[in-house]
Amino acid sequence: MYLNFNNTAFITIVLWIIGSLFILCDQKIKNGRLIGNLFTIIGTLVIIVFVIILWIEIERPPLRTLGETRLWYAVFLPIVGILTFIRWQYKWFLFYSLGLAILFLAINISNPENFDKTLMPALQSPWFVPHVIVYMLSYALLGVSSAVSAWGLYLIKFKTFKPELLNKADNLVYMGFSLLTLGLLFGALWAKEAWGHYWTWDPKETWALLTWLCYLLYIHYRYKHKQKIITALWILALSFIVLLICWVGINYLAVSGNSVHTYSD
Amino acid sequence: MSNNRKIIWQYPWGYAESFIIAITLLILGFAINYIGKSTVSAIQLPVNLYMGIAIIILLLLFYFLFKKKPFVKWLSGTPAAISAICFYTFLVLLMGFIPQGLPKASGFIHEIGLSDIVSSHTFLFAQIYFLVILGMVTLRRSFPLKGKNIGFFLNHFGLWLTLFSASIGAGDLQRVTLTANKTDAVFYGVDQNGKIIPDLSIAIQLKEFNIEEYPPKAFIIDDKSGSILNKELFYLKKGNKGEIMDREVEVTEFYKYGVYMSNKFHPVYDIGAAPAAYVITKNKKTNKVNEGWISCGSFRYPGKFLELSDGMLLVMADPEPKKYSSKVKIYTSSGDAFETTIEVNKPVTVDGWKIYQLDYNHKMGKWSDISILELVKDPWISVVYFGIFMLIAGALYMFWIGNKK
Ligand code: HEM
Repeated sequence: MYLNFNNTAFITIVLWIIGSLFILCDQKIKNGRLIGNLFTIIGTLVIIVFVIILWIEIERPPLRTLGETRLWYAVFLPIVGILTFIRWQYKWFLFYSLGLAILFLAINISNPENFDKTLMPALQSPWFVPHVIVYMLSYALLGVSSAVSAWGLYLIKFKTFKPELLNKADNLVYMGFSLLTLGLLFGALWAKEAWGHYWTWDPKETWALLTWLCYLLYIHYRYKHKQKIITALWILALSFIVLLICWVGINYLAVSGNSVHTYSD
Repeated sequence: MSNNRKIIWQYPWGYAESFIIAITLLILGFAINYIGKSTVSAIQLPVNLYMGIAIIILLLLFYFLFKKKPFVKWLSGTPAAISAICFYTFLVLLMGFIPQGLPKASGFIHEIGLSDIVSSHTFLFAQIYFLVILGMVTLRRSFPLKGKNIGFFLNHFGLWLTLFSASIGAGDLQRVTLTANKTDAVFYGVDQNGKIIPDLSIAIQLKEFNIEEYPPKAFIIDDKSGSILNKELFYLKKGNKGEIMDREVEVTEFYKYGVYMSNKFHPVYDIGAAPAAYVITKNKKTNKVNEGWISCGSFRYPGKFLELSDGMLLVMADPEPKKYSSKVKIYTSSGDAFETTIEVNKPVTVDGWKIYQLDYNHKMGKWSDISILELVKDPWISVVYFGIFMLIAGALYMFWIGNKK
C-alpha cells in the first residue's frame, strides 16, 4: 500500500545526475555518452514505474492535482530531452529538460501530498487521460522550444546566434502545437459528452485558446518571415508566458471561479 | 514589408493596411455596442441555414471572380491573416482578464460590450473578419488541390468549418433542465434563462436513483471553529488502520447503512440510514485511548462524532459520490415507452434530444427522490464534428511531418 515517493524521486534524480555527468565528460570517458544515456533512461524508467504503480494504487489516473501534473512533467520532460539529444546531440537540451524535471520532483518532495482516491463523476471518462496527457506532452515540447527562444535571445546579444537553432525550435513548436490542438479538441469532444456543450468559455478554455492563438501567430509569422529572427524569438518567449498563465497562473486570476479545470492542491 | 517604402493604401497591402482595418473594426464594434446598447442575438433555423449557404456562395463567387485582383491577394495573404489572428487574440485576452457574463455588470466596460464579449458586436466583427480571411486563404491554396497541401487543407478548412458552423448554429442549441420524479412523467423543462418550455415532445419518469460512493473520510476538527485540523487522509473502512495528527486510528466496524439505537449503531437498510464506523484512537504522546461510534448522519438522522482531548473532534465527512445514475422510463412522441439508465458522462439520445444526468437533491443524497436531467438539442453538431475531425486529422498530419518540406 505504501508508496515511497521521496525515495523513488531521490533515486531518479541521482541516476539523472550521474548520467548527465557522464554525458558532460564524454570526451574524457570511453563510451561516456552511451553510459550517460543509459543512466538517464533508467532514471526515467524508475519514475515511470512509480507513476504506473501509483495509478493502480489510487484506482484513478493521477492527473488531478497540481502535484500529480508535476509528476507527469517529470516523466515527459526527460523523454523529450533524451529523444532530442539522441536525435540532434544537443547537450544543453538534455540538461535543461532534466534540470526542470528535477525541479518538479524537488517541489513534490518538499510539498508531500496525500493521494486522494476520489474523483468527481464528471471526470471519470475515457477522454480524461488522452486530454490531459496530450496537454502535458505538448507543454513539455513547447517548454523546450521556449528555452530555445530564451537561449537565442541571449546568443543574439553576443552576436553568436545561428539561424539553424530556430529551425530546430520550429520543429518542436509544430509538434507541440499540433498536440495542443488535439488537447483542445479532445476537451471539446469530452465536454460535449459530459455536459452537452463543447465550448463554454470557461477561464481555462479561454486561456488554452489564447495559448493556442499565440503559437498560431508564431507559426504564421515564421512561415512568412524567415529572416526576422528577433521578432520570432520574442513571440515564442511571450507565448510561453501565456502558456504558463494557462497552466498554473489561472488559479490566481480573478476570472477563475469554480471551474472544473481548477486543480485542487 | 517591401524594400522601398510605399504609400499607404497603395497595393499590395501589407501589415499597415491590415492592422488599420482590424483596429477600425474593433473600434466600430465598441461604438456600436455603446450606442446601440444591444447584444448580437443568435439567428435560428431556417434563417441561419439560408444565410450560411448564401455566405458560402458569396465567398466562392467573390474568390473566383476576383482572384487576380490585389484585394483578394491581400485577403488571402499572411499580413491579413496575422491581423485577423491578432484581433481575435486581443478579444480572447480581454476575456481572459475580465470576468464574463456576470449578472450585475455595469459601467463603461459593460457598455462597450466587454463584460460579455462573445455576444458583442466587436466579437461578431472579429469572427467575420477571421472567417473571410481564413476562407480566402483556404480557397487560394485548395484550387487546384495538390497532395502536399492536404495538411494545409485539413487544418484551414477544418478550422473554418468548425468555427463557421458553430457560430451560425449557436442559436439552435437548446438546453433544457428537466426534474424527473417518481410519481409522474414530466414533459416540460426550464431553459437557461429560466423560461418554462411547456412541451418537449418526450416525457420522463424516474424509476430509481442510484449513487455509488467512495468510502467516507475521517477528519479531526476544532470543536469551536469547526475548521479541519489534519492534513492526513484517512478512509473509514472496516479494518483500516492509520495515523491522524499523532494518533493511531483503527476502524473496527463499519456499516454502509447504519441506524443508531440503544447506544450503538446497527446495520439497518432504511431510508436515511447513514454510514457509521466504530473507531479506536490512541494518542501516541499520552497513550490515552478514545473510542466510539462516528457517523456523518443524513437528512433523517443526526451525525455522531468522537470527542478527543484538547477540544478536538473526530468526525466523518459525507461520502463523496463516485458515480450517480438514474433509471428512467422515457415516453416518446410516437407513443413508444422504454426504460434506460442515464449516467454522468453516459448520455442517452432520444428523438433528437441528448439526455444528460445533471444533478439530484443533495440534501437527501443517495435517497434523492428527484433526478435533474439536462436535455440538449444541437442540430448542427454533425457539421461541427466533421470540422473537428478534419482538424484532428490535420493535427496528426502536422505532428508527423513537422515543419519539414
Ligand atoms: C488549425 C489552425 C491552423 C494551422 C494548424 C495552420 C497551419 C499553417 C501552416 C503549417 C502553414 C504553412 C504553409 C504550409 O505548410 O503549406 C500555414 C500557412 C498559412 N496560414 Fe495557417 N494555420 C492555421 C490557421 C490559420 C488561420 C486561422 C489563418 C487566417 C486567419 C491562416 C492563414 C494562413 C495563411 C495566410 C498562410 C500562408 C499561405 C500561403 O501563403 O500560401 N491559418 N498555416
